[in-house]
Amino acid sequence: MKNATAVLTSLFMIATAGAQEDQFATVIAPAFTPITWERLVDARNEPNNWLMYSGTMDSQRYSLLDDINIDNVNQLEMKWAYQIPVIDRAETVPLVVDGIMFITEAPSSVVAVNAGTGREYWRYDHEMPDDLRICCGRNNRGVAILGETLFMSTLDAHLIAIDARTGNLLWDTEVAPHDSGYSKTAAPLIVKDKVITGIAGGEFGIRGFVDAYDPATGEREWRTYVIPGPGEFGNDTWSGESWKTGGAATWITGSYDTDLNQIYWGTGNPGPDWNGDVRLGDNLYSDSVVALDGDSGEIVWHFQFTPHDVHDYDSIQIPILADIEFDGRERQVMMWANRNGFYYTLDRSNGQFLIGKPYAAQTWAKGLDPATGRPIRVAGMAPTYEGIMVSPPIVGATNWYSPGYNQETGLFYVTSFDGEQEFFKRDEDYEEGERFTGGGGRYTSPMDAFHSSIRAIDPETAEIEWEFPIMPRSSAGITTTAGGLVFTGSADGYFFALDASTGEELWNISLGRRVHAAPMTFAVDGEQMITIASGNVVYTFGLRD
Amino acid sequence: MMIKLDRVLPILLRLAVPVLVLGLFSYPPGLRPNSAHAEDAGNLYNTPIDIRMGNRYFERQCSRCHGFDAKGNDETGAPNLTGRLRRASTHTGIFNIIREGVPGTAMLPVAADVPDATVWQLVAYIDSLRYDPASVELAGDAETGSKLFAGKGNCSDCHMVNGRGGRLGPDLSRIGENKTPEDLLMAMMDPDQEVAPRWWTVRAVGADGVIREGFRMNEDSFSLRIMDIDSNLWSFQKRDIENYERREKSTMPSYVESLSDSELNDLVAYLFSLRREVIAQ
Repeated sequence: MKNATAVLTSLFMIATAGAQEDQFATVIAPAFTPITWERLVDARNEPNNWLMYSGTMDSQRYSLLDDINIDNVNQLEMKWAYQIPVIDRAETVPLVVDGIMFITEAPSSVVAVNAGTGREYWRYDHEMPDDLRICCGRNNRGVAILGETLFMSTLDAHLIAIDARTGNLLWDTEVAPHDSGYSKTAAPLIVKDKVITGIAGGEFGIRGFVDAYDPATGEREWRTYVIPGPGEFGNDTWSGESWKTGGAATWITGSYDTDLNQIYWGTGNPGPDWNGDVRLGDNLYSDSVVALDGDSGEIVWHFQFTPHDVHDYDSIQIPILADIEFDGRERQVMMWANRNGFYYTLDRSNGQFLIGKPYAAQTWAKGLDPATGRPIRVAGMAPTYEGIMVSPPIVGATNWYSPGYNQETGLFYVTSFDGEQEFFKRDEDYEEGERFTGGGGRYTSPMDAFHSSIRAIDPETAEIEWEFPIMPRSSAGITTTAGGLVFTGSADGYFFALDASTGEELWNISLGRRVHAAPMTFAVDGEQMITIASGNVVYTFGLRD
Repeated sequence: MMIKLDRVLPILLRLAVPVLVLGLFSYPPGLRPNSAHAEDAGNLYNTPIDIRMGNRYFERQCSRCHGFDAKGNDETGAPNLTGRLRRASTHTGIFNIIREGVPGTAMLPVAADVPDATVWQLVAYIDSLRYDPASVELAGDAETGSKLFAGKGNCSDCHMVNGRGGRLGPDLSRIGENKTPEDLLMAMMDPDQEVAPRWWTVRAVGADGVIREGFRMNEDSFSLRIMDIDSNLWSFQKRDIENYERREKSTMPSYVESLSDSELNDLVAYLFSLRREVIAQ
């Protein structure tokens, strides 16, 4: 032991001596302190950090930082850039914890960098089988953190835990068999002492669920299928055995209400996507939001946006929670701009429909039932063998891209698309691990012919307050701040800031490649920064020195 | 403008009849010259049934990115598979791409347990979307068409071929590679039917108050670039544009009235001959 101590001591002395000559020796590595559940609940009040995918448990993506504001946002400049080595879509929303940023990359890697400089501490590359079943490109949207551990979904449908200080793998749990069509791309959500996570694979005839795992061991604590089994409420909304392959993937991150102790999670399309003949009925709980008990995972209530969907209108949008004045009294609401073209305000304590209106072009429904919010369908809009034109197109009026809510303006912001597409129906038999979609779609006009915009919606009236046109369309998310700003990006490679009250353009920069991700904001050494991924580069901006 | 069908049909029929003899722009299975290549001798799965099976597999497994019509998707970056393929020129090449994927892109390999026969059927389907231009016999004469292009048709005033001609329409140097004779004929008879956004026209009033009109070379969320009729390039920030009008039509006239059927056929033959690869005669 003595010898070992002596060796260590001398090593330490050599390292110290080396550091003195090192030009970077004056850079002090930021402190990293464990992220407790209490810090996650109170995440809005430490706005120098971005502690979860949607910023806070209510998923508002509203930051209290206001150093960058409507008066000086035109003074933004690039501080650093980080290049992702694997070329694919970068849909990452990094976390920042006490000066360290965690960026996820395609296919399922995570890298820790200095949030002030972009220089790397460590990286973790997940070993992947070569027979992935994924619908829409290789991507990963982000990690969750609890204590000193990061939790990440992987494309081969595993949930893994990584040491946040070193990148070492702590555990690796198979959530579902990837060769049956399951995959995972979304950031998990921490709820108290559990890691909550969904599943992707809605184009492969999976059966969707939401799971909870023990953060220390990776053991599964509970699983709630979002397609009820035999004997359970709602199973009779699927004809025959169709519930077994009914999809309803839970492929985006949900939200949590600490007072109500409810987890809210969106669910995807019923499968096969475009052929509803083989799954007659409402197909619960596809295209819904489910409220789960925060401890047991049991379904407390549900609201189905699109019963018996045949257009792939997944309801995996992120639930935004806020307490707002509604009809003269304060209500605990959930705001939701759906892929189906309608905006909804729900009472999140019980799932009651409060108001809903179209916010984008749609031709499939005459409107919503004012009492229940159930869509009143236009006859004859289901896909056909010959093709039928319907709006929204398959990509939807919006999709998985994060919306935002600003507490100052009281407005909800969403990336929206007014498109149309021909929908086709096909007959397909389910084969495990194969695509099970029952059709597809085709555009008949160039993308530039369609209208697309950032829309600001008043959650009390469901009316559009302003819109900012973009083109051709965007798959970027939104972040809004106490500086009176809305930050987002566009498919044509811009990152820009709008006035959150008026929608007026205040600043833009061309980043050269499509923005597929949502921005996030944080501060290092008291300086506010904002980060966005574009193409394969993660850019960070701050005010000019 | 509306095109009378009775005018189109006779011309198309004249085009189609000699082609029909050779199998409607595609080789009858088994007669494809490529199959004479040793490296391509492998695709035994190219009967009409195989092609239909390949089509079904394509719709199910590939259409999400490549489109239900295989014409690609600029959003996913998946290429159009109905024209000349840039990454593979042989059946084996297509087979290998499906089997192995394209590294560094979203094109993943098919699952390892998909049998080779299925992949070959997919190859046969993709191949059926294209055709060997040498198999096409056209009524028109390319040489005469070339003269019309520069002469009576005034085509070269606007279109460039191999570095010569105008800038006010698409460069046609390789137009034969991705267009069928029907596409080319329809483009001359009804130019408004399919106009790429690059050739829409825009009228904009910028910060200087001057009206400028030109081709929409590029438009994005915040800026606009146009080329006017004198080939001047103009760039605008959208926030400075006071007035903006967009016309999603072609500036090209229809040639239905100004050229005879046989002249149109000659132009089709000329345009169809414009390609990089040498056509075996």
